[in-house]
Amino acid sequence: MREWWSKIRQALHLRRGLDGDLSDEMQAHLDLMTAENIERGMAADVARAAARRAFGNLTRTQENAREAWQFPRLETILQDIRYGLRGIRRSPSFSAVVILTLALGIGANTAIFSVVYSVLLRPLPYPHGERLVWLGESTAKASGISITWINFEYWRHDNDSFENMAAFAAEDLTLTGRGDAVLTREWLVTSSFFQLTGARPALGRLFTDHDDTPGAAPTVVATADCWQRKLGGDPNVVGESVVLDGTSYQIIGILNPRFQFLTRPVDFFLPLGRTAGGSHKRSDHENIRAVGLLKPGVTLTQAQTNLDAIMQRLTLSDPGPEDDHRAFAIYFTEVMAGDVRTTLLVLMGAVGLVLIIACANVASLLLVRSTGRAREIAIRVAIGAGRARLARQLLTENIVIAAIGGMLGLLLAAWCLRALILIGPRDIPRLTEATLDVPVLLFAAVISVAVGLLAGLAPVLNAGRVDLTAALKEGSPTAGTGWRGQAFRSALVIAEIAITLMLAFASGLLVRSLIAAQHADTGFDPQNLLAIELQLPESRYRSDDSVREYYGQLSRNLRAEPGIQDVGLVNCPPGGGDCGDYWYSILEKPTPTRDDVPLSLFDTADASYFRAARMRLIAGRNFNESDRAGGSRVAVINERLARQEWSEPRLALGQHLKLGGPYMEGPALEIVGVVANVSQMGLDAEAMPTFYYAFSQRPSSAMVVTLRTNGDPAQWMNAARRQVSALDRNVPIQSLRTGEDWLGATLQRRRFATLLLGLFGGLAMLLAAVGIYGVLNYWVSARQREIAIRLAVGAQRSTILRWAGLHATRLAVLGIVLGAIGAWSAARWLESLVFGVTARNPLMMLLAGAAVIAIAALAASLPLWRATHTDAVRNLHEA
Amino acid sequence: MSTVDDPRKALEFLQGTLEVLILRSLQGTPNHAYGISQFLEQQSEYEFLVDNGSLYPALQRLLQRRWISSQWKKSPNGRRAKYYRLTPLGRTQLVAAKSKWMRFVEAMARVLAPQR
Repeated sequence: MREWWSKIRQALHLRRGLDGDLSDEMQAHLDLMTAENIERGMAADVARAAARRAFGNLTRTQENAREAWQFPRLETILQDIRYGLRGIRRSPSFSAVVILTLALGIGANTAIFSVVYSVLLRPLPYPHGERLVWLGESTAKASGISITWINFEYWRHDNDSFENMAAFAAEDLTLTGRGDAVLTREWLVTSSFFQLTGARPALGRLFTDHDDTPGAAPTVVATADCWQRKLGGDPNVVGESVVLDGTSYQIIGILNPRFQFLTRPVDFFLPLGRTAGGSHKRSDHENIRAVGLLKPGVTLTQAQTNLDAIMQRLTLSDPGPEDDHRAFAIYFTEVMAGDVRTTLLVLMGAVGLVLIIACANVASLLLVRSTGRAREIAIRVAIGAGRARLARQLLTENIVIAAIGGMLGLLLAAWCLRALILIGPRDIPRLTEATLDVPVLLFAAVISVAVGLLAGLAPVLNAGRVDLTAALKEGSPTAGTGWRGQAFRSALVIAEIAITLMLAFASGLLVRSLIAAQHADTGFDPQNLLAIELQLPESRYRSDDSVREYYGQLSRNLRAEPGIQDVGLVNCPPGGGDCGDYWYSILEKPTPTRDDVPLSLFDTADASYFRAARMRLIAGRNFNESDRAGGSRVAVINERLARQEWSEPRLALGQHLKLGGPYMEGPALEIVGVVANVSQMGLDAEAMPTFYYAFSQRPSSAMVVTLRTNGDPAQWMNAARRQVSALDRNVPIQSLRTGEDWLGATLQRRRFATLLLGLFGGLAMLLAAVGIYGVLNYWVSARQREIAIRLAVGAQRSTILRWAGLHATRLAVLGIVLGAIGAWSAARWLESLVFGVTARNPLMMLLAGAAVIAIAALAASLPLWRATHTDAVRNLHEA
Repeated sequence: MSTVDDPRKALEFLQGTLEVLILRSLQGTPNHAYGISQFLEQQSEYEFLVDNGSLYPALQRLLQRRWISSQWKKSPNGRRAKYYRLTPLGRTQLVAAKSKWMRFVEAMARVLAPQR
């Protein structure tokens, strides 16, 4: 330690001084010796010469002394690097294969890692993002449901786990008075929201507590994007007012352009407390969620216990129908990652396996080369190179190769990443922010070095065991082909086959799932269906009658269009996801306990929707004209809900659905019909229990108008736009898509994951094929002479084929058995990604096995052909 | 190669011995490199021949470990030379090394020439 410290100080300050000092010292030494010689009676020049002779080699001594102060490693490492580069130039095709293999492995891994880092690992763009917690309420059945305003107020004031807390709610409002009416997206937030998220104004100011109290003057903060696009980008707009759903709000500020909250695009922020602050019931849900900033050192569980205690206390001081509700808390980072986590981790695992195959290929290539270099290594050992020194040189060479591969891999990763972002689904949060930044570069560097070390280990270990006499004998064919190297290469091939089988199995499962999802029974006919998504501005359509009137007239006008067969209204079309769920119970059945009240999705449809969408009616009837507002309230349920409650769907007819369950207020609806399940949450999702309200009895201003057309629905898009605009130009069209688009969008993620995993599976197969080819080819080369002799003494070609084929088959069978075991045990990781088939699918295993065998056979065929076509005479003659 | 030792040839230093001997040579008074080599040769009755190619690196190593320190001084006959002296650390090292080597030598002697 002390020596090193001295050396470092020496390297920093004194290097030059030392040289002078040493030569001075030695000169003095010589002088002393010369003086003694003169005293003994020698002549001056003779005395000097004698002293020089006695001293020995002056320069050498000086060099030796100086070396004691140097870091020899650094300098020899540079030498090794130069040597490595020379080696690459000497065998360019070999190096190209190795470097390309590494670049593929490292590039793919780096690209996927940068996505994983951006989506799962990168700190949130908020101050102390790691302490931000998402808050909601939960019951025994549902967690993360909305908080009521009053509960939030109690939490905010009574907790001692959070530094700060903010509530927020989403809302869509219509902006009027600036050209055509446009639908805008809002976040209603408490004034603490901007402190928590670290948002800053680009212009003006943000909300104060004063803006956030009931009865305050209406104020609004616009996002930079909205300011540019919808407010003309004029700085003087601050202080002006905008009309949202008929209310005039004063613009007090423009937000910093970099600010983003969740993935939802947003135009305006409004103060939540101004409107929600009037609420006083603890069961008054308004779709509010909250974020909290944990105090440093407080755990999530502590915070949750703290909030639960508040909820428990409230059941005593302010009892109500929701006394069983508790707090729900989850780290914000987890919310952001959401359910992409599994997908990304599976992809990362798959691409990691590809890297292992690449690594195995490179290892076996390097091993082959190092046996080819056995003579060179033997010479080095013979002239005194130590084992450690040799190992260091070989490792440095490998790392140089890996570094070049890594750099090429980075280029590849940059290109792949752009493609990934382009094809990636929009709903993966922060995917578009993925870049090759410092952590990603670090990752690439680490795996490059690790791969260099790992792949280089085998030849290095081998180098120490070189049999000098054997290797030095000219042309000795056995040089370096010992059983050890052979066994190692065989092990690599087995591992490659096993891993390839696992990847083939996994990507096969995903492809099968995608096909299953694409052919899933949608429960309706998405072809020739056009969907117009509308949201009536509340200022103009305040009453239920006006909403009914508008949609009734629009339906009539559209029906009159030539080529439109039918028009139906639905609140949430198939593929439209979750438009809300609620507790229910069946009046005619035993009352469930408080914890067992079931949940069902709800939707709203008009009388012609089921017909227009061609949804199969299983029992009872559709809604019809007799289901009027004020009449007996009715509902249509889906098959899933019917089968959950009754053995036969038709038994549901005439029974009553009590909304809110037995413990909450709510109307009872008579079940008049049962319809087929539809792919509500997407093509690759299980059907959920759903009931439909009759539009006539519960109109909603947000409806999707579905048109059944005579042919390609895209042809009626203009007609649809014209009719909506003709009826009321202040009603904005939110979206205009075909039924297939609605459904297709739900498969974006699945397609993305399947494409990538398929790509990795293909890459694995390619690399494995190269690896198998290389190893078998080498195996044949090493036995060329043996084969020649066998042929010369009369062996049949078929015997040779059987012999070599047996070797190849043994490797393949072992690899496939190991791979099957691995795939079988890893299948549970895939369970959440698989649809329509079981993850442990024997058929898929057979198919994957067959594919791998085919690839292995293809890769083995060339070396086997070479083995059987050895020219015995020529081969023996040359040897 | 002859297996019988040639008494006319000087002894080679065993690994690590030269450094101990340098420390010992500095125990009494500071000395310069030439003086050290003279001292060792005379004390060993010319059994050891000190090669400057080994002596100088050994001195550098001892300097790095802070067992000795160096200083330019005038020699008694008026010549400038670099003098080495033991540091307190070097002194304790010498004591430890000396007892270790004595034990080693005695053990060697007991094994090689047992006294019956």
